Amino acid sequence: MDNGGSEGIMSEVIVENVTKKFGNFVALDNVNLTIKPKEFFVLLGPSGSGKTTLLRLIAGLEDITEGSIYIGGKKVNDVPPKDRNVAMVFQNYALYPHFNVFDNIALTLKVRGYSKDAIKSRVSEIAKILHIEDILNKKPRELSGGQQQRVALARALVREPSVFLLDEPLSNLDAKLRVEARSFLRSLQKEVGVTTVFVTHDQSEAMALATTIAVLDKGIIKQVGDPYELYTKPKDIFTAGFIGSPAMNMIPGKLVKDGSSWRFVSEDFSVQLINTEFENEYDVILGIRPEHITLVKDDGINAKINNVEPMGAVTYLDIQVGSVELTVQYTGLIKLEAGMEIKVKFVEEKMLFYDRKTEKLLNV
Amino acid sequence: MKKLDAFLLILLIIFSFFALFPIYWTVITALKVNSEIFTIPPVFFPTKITFSNFYTPGTTFGEVSQTAFGSFPWLINSTIIALASSLIGTFVIGAPAAYALTRYLKNVWFARLILFMMMIPEAAFIIPFYVIITKLNMINTWWGLILVYISFTAPLSTWLLMGFFSDIPKSVEEAASIDGLSAFSTFYKIALPMVIPGIMVSIILNFINAWNEFIYALVLTYTPFPTGAQTVPLYLTDFIVIEKSFAWGGLAAAGVIVMLPSIILGIYAQKYLVKGWTMGAVKE
Repeated sequence: MDNGGSEGIMSEVIVENVTKKFGNFVALDNVNLTIKPKEFFVLLGPSGSGKTTLLRLIAGLEDITEGSIYIGGKKVNDVPPKDRNVAMVFQNYALYPHFNVFDNIALTLKVRGYSKDAIKSRVSEIAKILHIEDILNKKPRELSGGQQQRVALARALVREPSVFLLDEPLSNLDAKLRVEARSFLRSLQKEVGVTTVFVTHDQSEAMALATTIAVLDKGIIKQVGDPYELYTKPKDIFTAGFIGSPAMNMIPGKLVKDGSSWRFVSEDFSVQLINTEFENEYDVILGIRPEHITLVKDDGINAKINNVEPMGAVTYLDIQVGSVELTVQYTGLIKLEAGMEIKVKFVEEKMLFYDRKTEKLLNV
Repeated sequence: MKKLDAFLLILLIIFSFFALFPIYWTVITALKVNSEIFTIPPVFFPTKITFSNFYTPGTTFGEVSQTAFGSFPWLINSTIIALASSLIGTFVIGAPAAYALTRYLKNVWFARLILFMMMIPEAAFIIPFYVIITKLNMINTWWGLILVYISFTAPLSTWLLMGFFSDIPKSVEEAASIDGLSAFSTFYKIALPMVIPGIMVSIILNFINAWNEFIYALVLTYTPFPTGAQTVPLYLTDFIVIEKSFAWGGLAAAGVIVMLPSIILGIYAQKYLVKGWTMGAVKE
């Protein structure tokens, strides 16, 4: 298909030493990223982390303070948005209110000089994929939120961009529609095969969609990796706490050498480590996910149940161990009540130790 | 709430009375026979209706040779001058300036400066404008008055439209720039259609200002169409010749004719002055 002489859809995006300042405020601090062709790349972080700013830099909507961005091997620092062949879906959709749906989608093709027939066939093709053939004559104000979101997607996808940028496009949908749109988006991206950068603050959305996730906090890239890596081996305390729901349990303590083996000692309990080695004794924070705390009959840490939350497939227990409250995920239903005394054990190979000074992971 | 509604209703009735009574009075005076125009106490509901005020010269006291229908050559001038200064003020200067100021300059003081300029009485510039228009050889021409009127329609349009442009969601224009539109296309294909209610308000206010303007028309023009650019407010004053003639019937009839274009324009523009013109652009 004629795509207006673009570089095609196999573009790689390289972000090189990029810093962005708004006045004195540093929104992005020396960011480096490589987004591979066809990848579904998610920028994940809390609000104010700079993820949207990074997306806007790639789109060309903001000027780079320092560093460079390359799209498809070409440096685009000084290339205006209209010449970058990127497509973007905005958080608020940003449809043209005075155009009907057809014209909303077709505008970009008209501007790029496609013939009338080509525009018609392209728009109806994309409308079919997104199931919006019936609403092409309607104005945006006559559409539901889900339909508006599909029109925004259609407008972005209609011309086969080098890079597809999405700024929290699902955050305005209700919960049910969001989950639907999520799986739809994932399969759509696979089908179209365009390099995609997706911004979200929702870690479960990131986990569900991404081939690669970059976690941002305060303008700094904390970790880049696939969802499995980020979930199982978060490299620092921020990422550990941000990824996973319910959040990872964090217990302050010390790593102490005890004869030939090591021991984690907190204020309220200590755990013998059999297979884990360290270079030094450290002040640490132990990170352990709720599903890696198991209930045991004897030989465990004493705990008291604060709250039981049966979800069906799993049961969440809030338990008190001395001064710390932990969340435990039990697979299946279990008959327990608040106030009961139980014993728990941590799965040793899943225990993550973070240096309290550097906040970095110590396990190798 | 109920009490407040009743209070508001009474207020509205009082304000409507003040706004509408002069119009009513003009219309009935135009339709009255001479004997009822001068009756004391005044006649609020004429017993006899006549259209003769529109085509017979007013002869209440003394002689006024002109008729209401005779205003046609002045109306031609007024229409051309008011339309041109309204449209140029809105589209050629106001809208582009307002857009540039809200999108690129973002200087509050510049906006305030425009507002201050509007506060200066128009009459303050009569002498400089007279000199300028004379030097330009534009005395008693359409362009002479149009240029002068633009000097007050353009600032009003600019100031008015700045508010409308700054209400446009920024992301819609960003979407346009990503879709491949140039800055200029973004302005006139995307931003301008989104402020149509503002454009309509601007056109109406400019038109009414220029249509009713008197002082400059008096100073800068002296003959009607086709030889000159005299506008219709000047024709109206000729119904009153001090200490000689007061052709109230003819004046009222001409007044009705002069009011019509503004009223028609207002009614036509009504459908654009709606809330939610840009609804559906962004999800709040």
